[in-house]
Amino acid sequence: MKIQVLNKGLFSLIIDNGRVGRQRDGFCESGPMDSSAYDWANFLAFNLDGTPCIEAIGEMQLQVDEDCIIAVTGREPELSIDGRPISPYQSQKVPAGAIITFGCALLGGKAYLAICGNWQVPKAVGSACTVVREQLGGIDGKGSVLKDGDCIEVFANTRIKDSDKMRSLPTHLIDDYGFLEAIRVVPGYQFSCFSTVAVRTFETSTYTVSSAIDRMGFRFTGESVTADMENMRSEAIHLGAIQVPGDGQPIVMMRDRQTLGGYPKLGCVSPCDINRLAQAVPGEKVNFIFQNEEEARVDWLLMTSRRRRLQGEIL
Amino acid sequence: MQAFGHIKRILVAGADAIIIYFDGANLDEANTACHQMLAAIDARRESIRHNAASEGLEHNVESAWGWLRECVPSYDSLLITFDMTLIDNHGVYRALKALSTERINTQPADNKPGFGNSVIEIPVWYGAPNASDLSVVSKKTSLSIEEIIELHTSTAYKVYAVGFSPGFAYLGDIPEALKCARLGTPRKRVPKGAVAIADRQTAVYPSESPGGWNLLGLTAFDMLLHTEQDSESRLKVGDVVKFVSVTEQEYKSALKVKL
Repeated sequence: MKIQVLNKGLFSLIIDNGRVGRQRDGFCESGPMDSSAYDWANFLAFNLDGTPCIEAIGEMQLQVDEDCIIAVTGREPELSIDGRPISPYQSQKVPAGAIITFGCALLGGKAYLAICGNWQVPKAVGSACTVVREQLGGIDGKGSVLKDGDCIEVFANTRIKDSDKMRSLPTHLIDDYGFLEAIRVVPGYQFSCFSTVAVRTFETSTYTVSSAIDRMGFRFTGESVTADMENMRSEAIHLGAIQVPGDGQPIVMMRDRQTLGGYPKLGCVSPCDINRLAQAVPGEKVNFIFQNEEEARVDWLLMTSRRRRLQGEIL
Repeated sequence: MQAFGHIKRILVAGADAIIIYFDGANLDEANTACHQMLAAIDARRESIRHNAASEGLEHNVESAWGWLRECVPSYDSLLITFDMTLIDNHGVYRALKALSTERINTQPADNKPGFGNSVIEIPVWYGAPNASDLSVVSKKTSLSIEEIIELHTSTAYKVYAVGFSPGFAYLGDIPEALKCARLGTPRKRVPKGAVAIADRQTAVYPSESPGGWNLLGLTAFDMLLHTEQDSESRLKVGDVVKFVSVTEQEYKSALKVKL
Protein backbone atom coordinates (compact mmCIF):
# COMPACT_ATOMS: atom_id res chain seq x y z
CA MET A 1 0.00 0.00 0.00
CA LYS A 2 1.24 3.47 -0.84
CA ILE A 3 0.59 6.54 1.25
CA GLN A 4 1.09 9.75 -0.66
CA VAL A 5 1.71 13.10 1.00
CA LEU A 6 -0.62 15.65 -0.64
CA ASN A 7 0.11 18.45 1.83
CA LYS A 8 2.99 18.17 4.28
CA GLY A 9 1.58 20.71 6.75
CA LEU A 10 4.12 22.87 8.59
CA PHE A 11 6.62 20.28 9.75
CA SER A 12 6.06 16.55 9.49
CA LEU A 13 8.45 13.78 10.34
CA ILE A 14 8.58 10.01 10.32
CA ILE A 15 9.40 9.03 13.87
CA ASP A 16 9.69 5.91 16.00
CA ASN A 17 11.01 5.15 19.49
CA GLY A 18 14.38 6.66 18.65
CA ARG A 19 17.97 5.58 19.15
CA VAL A 20 18.71 3.79 22.38
CA GLY A 21 22.25 3.16 23.58
CA ARG A 22 23.97 5.35 21.00
CA GLN A 23 24.31 8.62 22.87
CA ARG A 24 27.86 7.62 23.79
CA ASP A 25 28.75 7.99 20.08
CA GLY A 26 27.09 11.40 19.98
CA PHE A 27 23.81 10.35 18.35
CA CYS A 28 20.88 12.09 19.97
CA GLU A 29 18.12 10.04 21.59
CA SER A 30 15.38 11.28 19.20
CA GLY A 31 11.96 9.61 19.30
CA PRO A 32 8.45 11.02 19.66
CA MET A 33 8.09 14.40 21.38
CA ASP A 34 4.85 13.13 22.95
CA SER A 35 5.56 9.45 23.51
CA SER A 36 2.21 8.86 25.19
CA ALA A 37 0.25 10.02 22.12
CA TYR A 38 2.63 8.03 19.92
CA ASP A 39 2.07 4.82 21.93
CA TRP A 40 -1.70 5.29 21.85
CA ALA A 41 -1.66 5.86 18.09
CA ASN A 42 0.13 2.58 17.45
CA PHE A 43 -2.05 0.70 19.93
CA LEU A 44 -5.26 2.01 18.35
CA ALA A 45 -3.95 1.23 14.84
CA PHE A 46 -3.18 -2.42 15.81
CA ASN A 47 0.56 -1.84 15.49
CA LEU A 48 3.32 -3.14 17.74
CA ASP A 49 4.97 -0.61 20.06
CA GLY A 50 7.78 1.16 18.24
CA THR A 51 6.21 1.05 14.75
CA PRO A 52 6.95 4.25 12.81
CA CYS A 53 4.34 7.02 12.85
CA ILE A 54 4.04 10.50 11.44
CA GLU A 55 4.51 13.40 13.88
CA ALA A 56 2.92 16.48 12.33
CA ILE A 57 2.77 20.15 13.19
CA GLY A 58 0.09 21.99 11.22
CA GLU A 59 -2.52 20.31 9.05
CA MET A 60 -1.31 17.42 6.95
CA GLN A 61 -3.07 15.67 4.07
CA LEU A 62 -2.39 12.19 2.72
CA GLN A 63 -4.00 9.75 0.33
CA VAL A 64 -3.99 5.96 0.65
CA ASP A 65 -4.30 3.58 -2.30
CA GLU A 66 -5.69 0.59 -0.37
CA ASP A 67 -8.16 -0.01 2.45
CA CYS A 68 -6.40 0.43 5.76
CA ILE A 69 -6.79 1.18 9.45
CA ILE A 70 -5.38 4.36 10.96
CA ALA A 71 -5.46 6.21 14.28
CA VAL A 72 -4.79 9.86 15.09
CA THR A 73 -3.77 11.09 18.55
CA GLY A 74 -2.07 14.09 20.16
CA ARG A 75 -3.13 17.28 21.88
CA GLU A 76 -6.60 18.27 20.63
CA PRO A 77 -6.11 16.38 17.37
CA GLU A 78 -8.48 16.78 14.44
CA LEU A 79 -9.15 14.22 11.75
CA SER A 80 -11.29 14.12 8.66
CA ILE A 81 -11.61 11.57 5.90
CA ASP A 82 -12.68 12.91 2.50
CA GLY A 83 -13.74 16.07 4.31
CA ARG A 84 -15.94 14.27 6.85
CA PRO A 85 -14.89 14.95 10.47
CA ILE A 86 -14.05 11.79 12.43
CA SER A 87 -13.25 11.36 16.13
CA PRO A 88 -9.56 10.86 16.88
CA TYR A 89 -8.28 8.35 19.47
CA GLN A 90 -9.91 5.34 17.78
CA SER A 91 -9.18 2.73 15.13
CA GLN A 92 -10.49 4.15 11.90
CA LYS A 93 -11.06 2.22 8.69
CA VAL A 94 -10.12 4.21 5.61
CA PRO A 95 -11.20 3.09 2.11
CA ALA A 96 -8.80 3.00 -0.83
CA GLY A 97 -8.41 6.39 -2.48
CA ALA A 98 -9.65 8.35 0.52
CA ILE A 99 -7.94 11.55 1.60
CA ILE A 100 -6.90 11.77 5.25
CA THR A 101 -6.58 15.25 6.74
CA PHE A 102 -5.27 15.54 10.29
CA GLY A 103 -3.51 17.95 12.59
CA CYS A 104 -3.54 19.69 15.94
CA ALA A 105 -5.94 22.56 16.55
CA LEU A 106 -3.22 24.53 18.37
CA LEU A 107 -0.45 26.05 16.31
CA GLY A 108 2.71 24.21 17.32
CA GLY A 109 0.97 21.23 18.89
CA LYS A 110 1.81 17.78 17.57
CA ALA A 111 -0.57 15.21 16.12
CA TYR A 112 0.37 11.58 15.47
CA LEU A 113 -0.86 9.42 12.61
CA ALA A 114 -0.39 5.65 12.88
CA ILE A 115 -1.16 3.42 9.92
CA CYS A 116 -1.68 -0.27 10.53
CA GLY A 117 0.98 -2.39 8.86
CA ASN A 118 4.65 -2.85 8.25
CA TRP A 119 6.37 0.42 7.35
CA GLN A 120 8.97 0.15 4.61
CA VAL A 121 11.28 2.90 5.78
CA PRO A 122 15.04 2.53 6.17
CA LYS A 123 16.65 2.32 9.58
CA ALA A 124 19.67 4.48 10.28
CA VAL A 125 21.66 3.76 13.46
CA GLY A 126 18.93 1.39 14.63
CA SER A 127 15.94 3.67 14.13
CA ALA A 128 13.74 5.22 11.44
CA CYS A 129 13.36 8.42 13.47
CA THR A 130 14.14 11.58 11.48
CA VAL A 131 16.86 13.85 12.86
CA VAL A 132 17.38 16.63 10.34
CA ARG A 133 20.51 17.95 12.05
CA GLU A 134 22.22 14.56 11.99
CA GLN A 135 20.95 13.67 8.51
CA LEU A 136 19.56 10.42 9.84
CA GLY A 137 16.27 8.55 9.50
CA GLY A 138 13.09 9.51 7.71
CA ILE A 139 11.83 8.45 4.32
CA ASP A 140 15.30 8.29 2.73
CA GLY A 141 17.32 7.46 5.84
CA LYS A 142 19.13 10.78 5.39
CA GLY A 143 17.07 12.92 7.74
CA SER A 144 14.67 14.46 5.21
CA VAL A 145 11.42 15.93 6.52
CA LEU A 146 8.26 14.84 4.68
CA LYS A 147 7.40 16.95 1.64
CA ASP A 148 4.51 17.15 -0.79
CA GLY A 149 4.55 14.22 -3.19
CA ASP A 150 6.49 11.85 -0.91
CA CYS A 151 5.28 8.27 -1.01
CA ILE A 152 5.54 5.98 2.02
CA GLU A 153 5.14 2.25 1.49
CA VAL A 154 3.37 0.28 4.20
CA PHE A 155 2.72 -3.45 3.80
CA ALA A 156 -0.79 -4.25 4.99
CA ASN A 157 -1.15 -6.36 8.11
CA THR A 158 -3.08 -9.39 6.88
CA ARG A 159 -3.83 -10.69 10.37
CA ILE A 160 -6.43 -7.97 11.01
CA LYS A 161 -9.84 -9.33 10.07
CA ASP A 162 -13.05 -7.42 9.41
CA SER A 163 -14.56 -9.06 12.45
CA ASP A 164 -11.85 -7.70 14.76
CA LYS A 165 -13.13 -5.28 17.34
CA MET A 166 -12.12 -1.70 16.56
CA ARG A 167 -10.38 0.07 19.44
CA SER A 168 -11.29 3.40 20.94
CA LEU A 169 -10.19 5.45 23.95
CA PRO A 170 -13.17 7.28 25.52
CA THR A 171 -12.73 11.07 25.50
CA HIS A 172 -12.70 11.44 29.28
CA LEU A 173 -9.79 8.99 29.55
CA ILE A 174 -7.52 10.79 27.07
CA ASP A 175 -4.37 12.29 28.65
CA ASP A 176 -4.84 15.72 30.12
CA TYR A 177 -2.92 18.38 28.25
CA GLY A 178 -2.74 22.01 29.32
CA PHE A 179 -1.07 23.60 32.32
CA LEU A 180 -3.58 24.08 35.09
CA GLU A 181 -1.46 21.57 36.96
CA ALA A 182 2.21 22.41 37.50
CA ILE A 183 4.93 20.48 35.69
CA ARG A 184 6.70 18.14 38.12
CA VAL A 185 10.49 18.44 38.29
CA VAL A 186 12.89 16.05 40.03
CA PRO A 187 15.80 17.99 41.60
CA GLY A 188 19.10 16.69 40.31
CA TYR A 189 22.47 17.38 38.73
CA GLN A 190 23.71 20.80 39.99
CA PHE A 191 20.55 21.47 42.05
CA SER A 192 22.63 22.10 45.18
CA CYS A 193 24.54 24.90 43.38
CA PHE A 194 21.37 26.96 43.18
CA SER A 195 20.59 29.16 46.18
CA THR A 196 17.38 28.64 48.18
CA VAL A 197 16.20 31.94 46.76
CA ALA A 198 16.81 30.77 43.19
CA VAL A 199 14.99 27.50 43.81
CA ARG A 200 12.03 29.29 45.43
CA THR A 201 11.93 31.78 42.57
CA PHE A 202 11.82 28.97 40.04
CA GLU A 203 9.04 27.18 41.89
CA THR A 204 6.83 30.18 42.58
CA SER A 205 7.12 32.04 39.26
CA THR A 206 5.10 31.49 36.14
CA TYR A 207 7.12 30.90 32.98
CA THR A 208 6.01 31.61 29.45
CA VAL A 209 6.71 29.22 26.60
CA SER A 210 8.80 31.25 24.14
CA SER A 211 8.75 30.85 20.38
CA ALA A 212 12.18 29.18 20.58
CA ILE A 213 10.81 25.68 20.94
CA ASP A 214 11.92 22.78 18.81
CA ARG A 215 12.78 19.12 19.07
CA MET A 216 16.11 19.99 20.76
CA GLY A 217 14.74 22.12 23.57
CA PHE A 218 12.06 24.49 24.84
CA ARG A 219 13.12 27.93 25.99
CA PHE A 220 11.04 29.65 28.66
CA THR A 221 10.94 33.32 29.65
CA GLY A 222 10.26 34.58 33.14
CA GLU A 223 12.03 35.29 36.43
CA SER A 224 15.75 34.79 36.06
CA VAL A 225 17.34 31.88 37.96
CA THR A 226 21.10 31.53 38.19
CA ALA A 227 23.45 28.97 39.69
CA ASP A 228 26.24 29.90 42.09
CA MET A 229 28.96 28.26 40.06
CA GLU A 230 31.48 29.50 37.57
CA ASN A 231 32.04 26.80 35.05
CA MET A 232 31.64 23.08 34.82
CA ARG A 233 32.76 20.33 32.51
CA SER A 234 30.39 19.13 29.83
CA GLU A 235 28.33 16.15 30.91
CA ALA A 236 25.50 14.00 29.58
CA ILE A 237 22.10 15.68 29.35
CA HIS A 238 19.07 13.57 30.17
CA LEU A 239 15.59 14.00 28.65
CA GLY A 240 13.75 16.87 30.35
CA ALA A 241 16.89 18.35 31.94
CA ILE A 242 16.36 22.00 32.89
CA GLN A 243 19.44 23.93 31.81
CA VAL A 244 20.02 27.43 33.01
CA PRO A 245 22.50 29.38 30.88
CA GLY A 246 24.02 32.70 31.96
CA ASP A 247 20.90 34.74 31.18
CA GLY A 248 18.94 32.76 33.80
CA GLN A 249 16.14 31.75 31.41
CA PRO A 250 15.48 28.01 31.71
CA ILE A 251 15.65 25.63 28.75
CA VAL A 252 14.05 22.19 28.97
CA MET A 253 16.03 19.73 26.89
CA MET A 254 13.92 17.59 24.58
CA ARG A 255 14.26 14.48 22.39
CA ASP A 256 16.77 15.80 19.83
CA ARG A 257 19.02 17.52 22.42
CA GLN A 258 22.77 17.32 21.95
CA THR A 259 24.22 14.53 24.07
CA LEU A 260 26.65 16.64 26.13
CA GLY A 261 26.43 20.14 27.51
CA GLY A 262 28.08 22.41 30.04
CA TYR A 263 25.31 24.55 31.53
CA PRO A 264 24.18 24.02 35.15
CA LYS A 265 20.96 22.04 35.51
CA LEU A 266 18.25 22.19 38.17
CA GLY A 267 17.12 18.62 37.55
CA CYS A 268 14.79 16.94 35.09
CA VAL A 269 11.11 17.24 34.28
CA SER A 270 9.38 14.08 35.52
CA PRO A 271 8.81 11.48 32.78
CA CYS A 272 5.11 11.71 33.74
CA ASP A 273 4.97 15.32 32.57
CA ILE A 274 7.48 15.53 29.72
CA ASN A 275 4.87 14.65 27.08
CA ARG A 276 2.48 17.30 28.34
CA LEU A 277 5.28 19.87 28.28
CA ALA A 278 6.35 18.79 24.77
CA GLN A 279 2.85 19.74 23.60
CA ALA A 280 3.11 23.29 24.98
CA VAL A 281 2.74 26.05 22.39
CA PRO A 282 4.29 29.55 22.39
CA GLY A 283 2.65 31.97 24.82
CA GLU A 284 1.34 29.31 27.21
CA LYS A 285 2.06 29.80 30.93
CA VAL A 286 3.68 27.01 32.89
CA ASN A 287 4.43 26.50 36.59
CA PHE A 288 7.03 24.08 37.88
CA ILE A 289 6.96 22.16 41.15
CA PHE A 290 9.71 20.04 42.71
CA GLN A 291 9.07 16.44 43.67
CA ASN A 292 11.68 13.93 44.77
CA GLU A 293 12.62 10.95 42.63
CA GLU A 294 10.75 8.45 44.83
CA GLU A 295 7.46 10.30 44.39
CA ALA A 296 8.14 10.68 40.68
CA ARG A 297 8.65 6.94 40.39
CA VAL A 298 5.42 6.19 42.25
CA ASP A 299 3.54 8.53 39.92
CA TRP A 300 5.16 6.83 36.95
CA LEU A 301 4.22 3.34 38.13
CA LEU A 302 0.62 4.46 38.70
CA MET A 303 0.51 6.12 35.29
CA THR A 304 1.89 3.12 33.42
CA SER A 305 -0.35 0.65 35.23
CA ARG A 306 -3.36 2.85 34.46
CA ARG A 307 -2.43 2.83 30.78
CA ARG A 308 -1.96 -0.94 30.77
CA ARG A 309 -5.33 -1.41 32.46
CA LEU A 310 -7.04 0.90 29.95
CA GLN A 311 -5.50 -0.95 27.04
CA GLY A 312 -6.59 -4.25 28.56
CA GLU A 313 -10.17 -3.00 28.83
CA ILE A 314 -10.18 -1.73 25.25
CA LEU A 315 -8.88 -5.00 23.77
CA MET B 1 24.31 7.68 47.96
CA GLN B 2 27.72 6.87 49.43
CA ALA B 3 30.61 7.07 47.00
CA PHE B 4 32.96 4.10 46.51
CA GLY B 5 36.11 3.28 44.56
CA HIS B 6 37.23 6.12 42.31
CA ILE B 7 33.87 7.82 42.60
CA LYS B 8 33.66 11.32 44.02
CA ARG B 9 29.89 11.79 44.04
CA ILE B 10 26.74 10.04 42.92
CA LEU B 11 23.77 12.30 42.31
CA VAL B 12 20.21 11.95 41.15
CA ALA B 13 19.93 13.32 37.61
CA GLY B 14 16.22 12.73 37.14
CA ALA B 15 13.49 10.27 38.13
CA ASP B 16 15.07 7.57 35.96
CA ALA B 17 18.74 8.56 35.91
CA ILE B 18 21.76 8.94 38.15
CA ILE B 19 25.04 10.63 37.35
CA ILE B 20 28.37 9.45 38.72
CA TYR B 21 31.33 11.83 39.08
CA PHE B 22 34.81 10.33 39.21
CA ASP B 23 37.82 11.31 41.22
CA GLY B 24 41.51 11.40 40.43
CA ALA B 25 44.70 13.40 40.91
CA ASN B 26 43.96 15.04 37.58
CA LEU B 27 41.34 15.02 34.84
CA ASP B 28 43.13 12.23 33.00
CA GLU B 29 42.78 9.87 35.97
CA ALA B 30 39.14 10.74 36.56
CA ASN B 31 38.47 10.19 32.86
CA THR B 32 40.18 6.80 33.00
CA ALA B 33 38.17 5.78 36.08
CA CYS B 34 34.99 6.77 34.27
CA HIS B 35 35.81 4.61 31.28
CA GLN B 36 36.88 1.68 33.38
CA MET B 37 33.44 1.75 34.97
CA LEU B 38 31.79 1.94 31.56
CA ALA B 39 33.92 -0.94 30.26
CA ALA B 40 32.99 -3.01 33.33
CA ILE B 41 29.27 -2.36 32.76
CA ASP B 42 29.58 -3.27 29.09
CA ALA B 43 31.51 -6.43 29.90
CA ARG B 44 28.92 -7.46 32.48
CA ARG B 45 26.03 -7.01 30.08
CA GLU B 46 27.89 -8.82 27.33
CA SER B 47 28.67 -11.82 29.55
CA ILE B 48 25.07 -12.03 30.75
CA ARG B 49 23.82 -11.89 27.19
CA HIS B 50 26.35 -14.51 26.17
CA ASN B 51 25.54 -16.87 29.05
CA ALA B 52 21.81 -16.51 28.60
CA ALA B 53 22.17 -17.31 24.91
CA SER B 54 24.41 -20.35 25.42
CA GLU B 55 22.46 -21.81 28.33
CA GLY B 56 19.02 -20.76 27.16
CA LEU B 57 18.34 -19.39 30.62
CA GLU B 58 15.96 -16.68 31.66
CA HIS B 59 17.67 -14.42 34.16
CA ASN B 60 15.82 -12.32 36.63
CA VAL B 61 15.66 -8.73 35.47
CA GLU B 62 17.68 -7.10 38.22
CA SER B 63 20.72 -9.34 38.04
CA ALA B 64 20.54 -9.40 34.24
CA TRP B 65 20.78 -5.61 34.09
CA GLY B 66 17.70 -5.56 31.84
CA TRP B 67 16.77 -2.24 33.42
CA LEU B 68 19.79 -0.45 31.97
CA ARG B 69 18.83 1.90 29.16
CA GLU B 70 21.79 4.10 28.45
CA CYS B 71 25.29 4.92 29.74
CA VAL B 72 26.65 8.24 28.54
CA PRO B 73 30.23 9.07 29.57
CA SER B 74 31.85 12.48 29.45
CA TYR B 75 35.08 13.99 30.84
CA ASP B 76 34.70 12.88 34.46
CA SER B 77 31.09 11.78 34.66
CA LEU B 78 28.86 8.89 33.63
CA LEU B 79 25.10 9.23 33.25
CA ILE B 80 23.14 6.02 33.78
CA THR B 81 19.49 5.89 32.78
CA PHE B 82 17.22 3.03 33.74
CA ASP B 83 13.73 1.67 33.28
CA MET B 84 11.77 2.83 36.34
CA THR B 85 9.23 0.05 36.04
CA LEU B 86 11.98 -2.52 36.66
CA ILE B 87 14.21 -0.88 39.26
CA ASP B 88 14.69 2.22 41.41
CA ASN B 89 17.91 4.19 41.85
CA HIS B 90 18.88 2.25 44.99
CA GLY B 91 18.80 -0.94 42.97
CA VAL B 92 21.00 0.65 40.32
CA TYR B 93 23.38 1.80 43.04
CA ARG B 94 23.58 -1.73 44.52
CA ALA B 95 24.32 -3.24 41.11
CA LEU B 96 27.10 -0.74 40.41
CA LYS B 97 28.65 -1.19 43.83
CA ALA B 98 28.60 -4.97 43.50
CA LEU B 99 30.21 -4.70 40.09
CA SER B 100 32.93 -2.44 41.45
CA THR B 101 33.69 -4.78 44.36
CA GLU B 102 33.92 -7.80 42.06
CA ARG B 103 36.28 -5.98 39.77
CA ILE B 104 38.61 -4.99 42.56
CA ASN B 105 38.81 -8.63 43.58
CA THR B 106 39.27 -10.09 40.14
CA GLN B 107 40.98 -7.50 37.93
CA PRO B 108 44.63 -6.51 38.01
CA ALA B 109 44.91 -2.88 39.02
CA ASP B 110 46.88 -1.79 35.97
CA ASN B 111 44.22 -2.88 33.51
CA LYS B 112 43.50 0.35 31.68
CA PRO B 113 41.15 -0.08 28.74
CA GLY B 114 41.92 1.98 25.72
CA PHE B 115 45.55 2.63 26.57
CA GLY B 116 46.95 -0.41 24.86
CA ASN B 117 45.70 1.11 21.61
CA SER B 118 48.16 2.39 19.09
CA VAL B 119 48.19 6.05 18.16
CA ILE B 120 45.64 7.01 15.49
CA GLU B 121 47.06 9.49 12.99
CA ILE B 122 44.82 12.13 11.46
CA PRO B 123 46.28 13.83 8.36
CA VAL B 124 45.54 17.55 8.20
CA TRP B 125 45.90 20.05 5.39
CA TYR B 126 46.67 23.06 7.58
CA GLY B 127 45.50 26.41 6.26
CA ALA B 128 42.93 25.04 3.81
CA PRO B 129 41.28 28.23 2.46
CA ASN B 130 37.70 27.46 3.55
CA ALA B 131 38.72 26.25 7.01
CA SER B 132 41.45 28.47 8.30
CA ASP B 133 41.58 30.85 11.22
CA LEU B 134 45.36 30.46 11.34
CA SER B 135 45.88 34.22 11.16
CA VAL B 136 43.34 34.77 13.95
CA VAL B 137 44.99 32.09 16.08
CA SER B 138 48.35 33.60 15.31
CA LYS B 139 47.16 36.95 16.66
CA LYS B 140 45.53 35.41 19.74
CA THR B 141 48.57 33.31 20.64
CA SER B 142 51.40 35.48 19.27
CA LEU B 143 52.76 32.40 17.52
CA SER B 144 53.74 32.17 13.86
CA ILE B 145 51.66 29.89 11.63
CA GLU B 146 54.55 27.43 11.44
CA GLU B 147 54.79 27.37 15.24
CA ILE B 148 51.05 26.74 15.53
CA ILE B 149 51.23 23.74 13.18
CA GLU B 150 54.37 22.51 14.90
CA LEU B 151 52.71 22.69 18.33
CA HIS B 152 49.42 21.16 17.19
CA THR B 153 51.19 18.17 15.59
CA SER B 154 53.72 17.73 18.40
CA THR B 155 51.33 16.34 20.99
CA ALA B 156 49.51 13.04 21.35
CA TYR B 157 45.93 13.76 22.42
CA LYS B 158 43.55 11.64 24.40
CA VAL B 159 39.87 11.26 23.47
CA TYR B 160 38.14 12.48 26.64
CA ALA B 161 34.57 12.36 25.41
CA VAL B 162 32.49 11.76 22.31
CA GLY B 163 29.32 13.75 21.99
CA PHE B 164 27.55 16.96 21.15
CA SER B 165 27.01 15.60 17.64
CA PRO B 166 27.63 12.14 16.14
CA GLY B 167 31.34 11.32 16.09
CA PHE B 168 32.45 14.63 17.61
CA ALA B 169 35.46 13.69 19.79
CA TYR B 170 36.80 16.08 22.40
CA LEU B 171 40.60 15.74 22.33
CA GLY B 172 42.96 17.21 24.85
CA ASP B 173 44.94 18.85 26.10
CA ILE B 174 46.56 21.09 23.52
CA PRO B 175 49.80 22.84 24.56
CA GLU B 176 49.22 25.79 26.89
CA ALA B 177 50.79 28.16 24.34
CA LEU B 178 48.10 27.22 21.77
CA LYS B 179 45.23 27.86 24.15
CA CYS B 180 42.80 30.30 22.55
CA ALA B 181 39.24 31.45 23.15
CA ARG B 182 36.31 30.58 20.92
CA LEU B 183 35.36 32.92 18.09
CA GLY B 184 33.34 35.96 19.15
CA THR B 185 30.66 35.11 16.61
CA PRO B 186 30.23 31.42 15.82
CA ARG B 187 30.36 30.43 12.15
CA LYS B 188 27.02 29.40 10.65
CA ARG B 189 28.79 26.76 8.61
CA VAL B 190 31.90 24.84 9.47
CA PRO B 191 32.85 22.39 6.70
CA LYS B 192 32.98 18.65 7.28
CA GLY B 193 36.46 17.56 8.34
CA ALA B 194 37.48 20.93 9.77
CA VAL B 195 40.16 20.59 12.46
CA ALA B 196 39.63 23.09 15.23
CA ILE B 197 40.84 24.29 18.63
CA ALA B 198 39.14 26.05 21.55
CA ASP B 199 40.50 26.57 25.07
CA ARG B 200 42.71 23.52 25.75
CA GLN B 201 40.71 21.27 23.41
CA THR B 202 40.94 20.20 19.81
CA ALA B 203 38.46 18.34 17.59
CA VAL B 204 37.44 17.45 14.06
CA TYR B 205 33.95 18.46 12.86
CA PRO B 206 32.43 15.12 11.68
CA SER B 207 29.87 16.83 9.44
CA GLU B 208 29.00 20.31 8.26
CA SER B 209 27.55 22.24 11.18
CA PRO B 210 27.59 25.59 12.93
CA GLY B 211 30.52 26.08 15.29
CA GLY B 212 32.53 28.59 17.27
CA TRP B 213 35.94 26.93 17.41
CA ASN B 214 39.06 28.27 15.67
CA LEU B 215 39.74 26.32 12.49
CA LEU B 216 43.24 25.18 11.57
CA GLY B 217 42.65 23.11 8.46
CA LEU B 218 40.87 20.16 6.87
CA THR B 219 41.17 16.40 7.10
CA ALA B 220 39.85 13.67 4.81
CA PHE B 221 39.72 11.35 7.86
CA ASP B 222 36.09 10.26 8.39
CA MET B 223 34.96 10.62 12.00
CA LEU B 224 32.03 8.28 11.43
CA LEU B 225 32.25 4.73 10.16
CA HIS B 226 29.28 3.97 7.96
CA THR B 227 27.79 0.62 7.14
CA GLU B 228 24.51 -0.06 5.39
CA GLN B 229 22.26 0.52 8.37
CA ASP B 230 24.59 1.82 11.00
CA SER B 231 27.19 4.43 11.72
CA GLU B 232 29.53 4.62 14.63
CA SER B 233 32.09 6.99 15.96
CA ARG B 234 35.55 6.17 14.64
CA LEU B 235 37.25 7.53 17.73
CA LYS B 236 36.36 6.01 21.08
CA VAL B 237 37.03 7.43 24.47
CA GLY B 238 40.53 6.55 25.63
CA ASP B 239 41.95 6.43 22.10
CA VAL B 240 45.16 8.36 21.48
CA VAL B 241 45.32 10.65 18.47
CA LYS B 242 48.08 12.58 16.69
CA PHE B 243 47.67 15.09 13.90
CA VAL B 244 50.05 14.95 10.93
CA SER B 245 50.55 17.80 8.47
CA VAL B 246 49.89 16.92 4.81
CA THR B 247 49.84 18.91 1.57
CA GLU B 248 46.77 20.05 -0.32
CA GLN B 249 47.45 17.37 -2.92
CA GLU B 250 47.66 14.59 -0.32
CA TYR B 251 44.40 15.80 1.22
CA LYS B 252 42.64 15.82 -2.13
CA SER B 253 43.88 12.40 -3.17
CA ALA B 254 42.77 10.98 0.18
CA LEU B 255 39.29 12.41 -0.46
CA LYS B 256 39.27 10.80 -3.92
CA VAL B 257 40.17 7.38 -2.57
CA LYS B 258 36.99 7.46 -0.49
CA LEU B 259 34.80 8.44 -3.45
